[in-house]
Amino acid sequence: MVAIIFTNLVRRRSRTVFTAAGIALGVATIVALLAFTRGLNQTAAGFVHLGGSGLGVFQANVSDPTASILPESTVARLQARPYVARATPLLLMVEAVKHEPAAVAFGVDPHGFFAQGLVILDGGKPRSWQTEVLVGDRLAAQLHLTPGAVLTLKGHPYRVAGVYHSGILFEDSGAVLSIAQARLLTGEPREQTDVAIQLAPGRRASTVAREIERDFPGTQVISDPQQALRAGANGTLISKAVLVIVVIALIVGAISVTNTMAMSIIERQGELGLLSTVGWSPLRVAALIFGEGIAVSVLGAAVGLLFGVIGGDLLVRALGAGAYITPSVTAWGLGRGLLVGVAIGVLGGIYPAWRVTRMKPLKALSGT
Amino acid sequence: MSNPTGAEVVVDSVAKSFGKVSALRGVSLRIAPSEAVLITGRSGSGKSTLLALIGGLEDPDAGRVLIDGRAIWSQPHPAHLRRELVGFVFQRHLLLEALSARANVEVPLIGTGARARERRRRSLELLGEVGLADRAEHLPSQLSGGERQRVAVARALANEPRLLLADEPTGALDSGTSERILDLIFGLRDRLGMTMVVVSYDPAIGARADRTVTLIDGQIVSELSTGEPGSEPAERREPVGSAGDSADRPGGRVADGRELPARPSAVSTCR
Repeated sequence: MVAIIFTNLVRRRSRTVFTAAGIALGVATIVALLAFTRGLNQTAAGFVHLGGSGLGVFQANVSDPTASILPESTVARLQARPYVARATPLLLMVEAVKHEPAAVAFGVDPHGFFAQGLVILDGGKPRSWQTEVLVGDRLAAQLHLTPGAVLTLKGHPYRVAGVYHSGILFEDSGAVLSIAQARLLTGEPREQTDVAIQLAPGRRASTVAREIERDFPGTQVISDPQQALRAGANGTLISKAVLVIVVIALIVGAISVTNTMAMSIIERQGELGLLSTVGWSPLRVAALIFGEGIAVSVLGAAVGLLFGVIGGDLLVRALGAGAYITPSVTAWGLGRGLLVGVAIGVLGGIYPAWRVTRMKPLKALSGT
Repeated sequence: MSNPTGAEVVVDSVAKSFGKVSALRGVSLRIAPSEAVLITGRSGSGKSTLLALIGGLEDPDAGRVLIDGRAIWSQPHPAHLRRELVGFVFQRHLLLEALSARANVEVPLIGTGARARERRRRSLELLGEVGLADRAEHLPSQLSGGERQRVAVARALANEPRLLLADEPTGALDSGTSERILDLIFGLRDRLGMTMVVVSYDPAIGARADRTVTLIDGQIVSELSTGEPGSEPAERREPVGSAGDSADRPGGRVADGRELPARPSAVSTCR
């Protein structure tokens, strides 16, 4: 049976290739998007732990966390709460770095735990936070920056005092300057994007998050990566887009397989009638058709997995989000792609297989 | 190769229509185990339909067909009974073009659940039986018409059928090749003892069969026996008639009572 399935697929090479290619495209899209969202998730985890914080406080209902605006007074009020050990303001600037628009510039309190916690790999901490900045090791590598070089932020030149590493992609792909300078550059003198918080000993992030949101209406607390994704409308949109694309891929793929297999059984009526004549049961003949559908789909899915892995990287590059997101391909992501491929074959094979079971051998034979 | 005995076939008042066209009208026929019967008649007389009903490829509108007492269409899985009892040979060999001769012969065996090694052994044995051992791995497109029909015969024998049904098995072959195919089929029948029903215009087949049944307009108009099954040498038998006139002049007596030229050893039956 397997040999006949293989032979039939090879015999109709063009049709097999085109059908498999369609399925591959759908599966590749799914795998790439899953890798993309997984990368986004990991980036979101960076958001949660910016500067080694336990959680971050952002403005509620923003399109994405970088668009958050909180008043300057929030830091002092949070610091006064018993569940907060330390709070430090952050002002995030996107598209601030010339030549690397995906890099984020972090406006920080030079005395806060964010700035103090950075590990300097090369050079030193700024002697003057008004004229000097720090750059992450990834950004330094990308722009070939070393201590003493000049980095332009929002059109203003700053001397690179040192190169740091934090282990958080988001931070290592960006630059750090004083929040005072950041406010000057953004023209928002008394605002910040969010407040990074280190919890008081013995406090649980989820409990504190609820207390902060209760005590500070209009804020939302991000305490885990999923929450970070959900916090921004963009992240939610991407997650939903993945789901929609999965459903569309399933429908389009299944229709494509149905069409291919239905055409195939019309063309091969005589052959199928012959199988029935020589004693193949309707179920066995249906299994042959069903098997061909699944084989095409698995073939397409296998190619799709490969393209999906490559496509994830291309997608990030195309979106210019290389600094934020590293696509992360997981076994489960690949497994889901394969499952979708097999599901396409199963759904697409049902109708043609059913039709075959209804075929009368004599009529089928006379169809040749 | 094992030696299956022939199956008994009883066609009992069978009728079949396709739309408004009545292909068969109350046909009854009994074929004894190991008997070779030729069904002849002009085009559209219903002979191929009768063969299809006997083989369980179609279900009758009325009446019943019994093979060894079992009605195919009363079985939960008619295909299983076909696989168990019946082998088919068609005018067009109907080989699967993408498969080798050996793989084509193996196809019916796939339905039996036989293991690949056993299928291979059996198919090679059968191809040897039909004189194609050295052509086993050739595709149908690489074989001559006669060789393809030999493969089809081997395929028909794969499940050791007790009933071999052949629909115009030599219709697409030249006379020399036809003769060799008939030698093969009837030789196998003599050796294996299977019941055989052949539909054909070919007069040479009438000479080899035990009995010739003629159909006109969906009814049996005559049955001519050439003696006890297998007892009479083929060269002493007479053809029922040529392709052009066999249906019109089958010998014996036709339904309206007209006398036709008598044939030696012929037993006519009016219906």
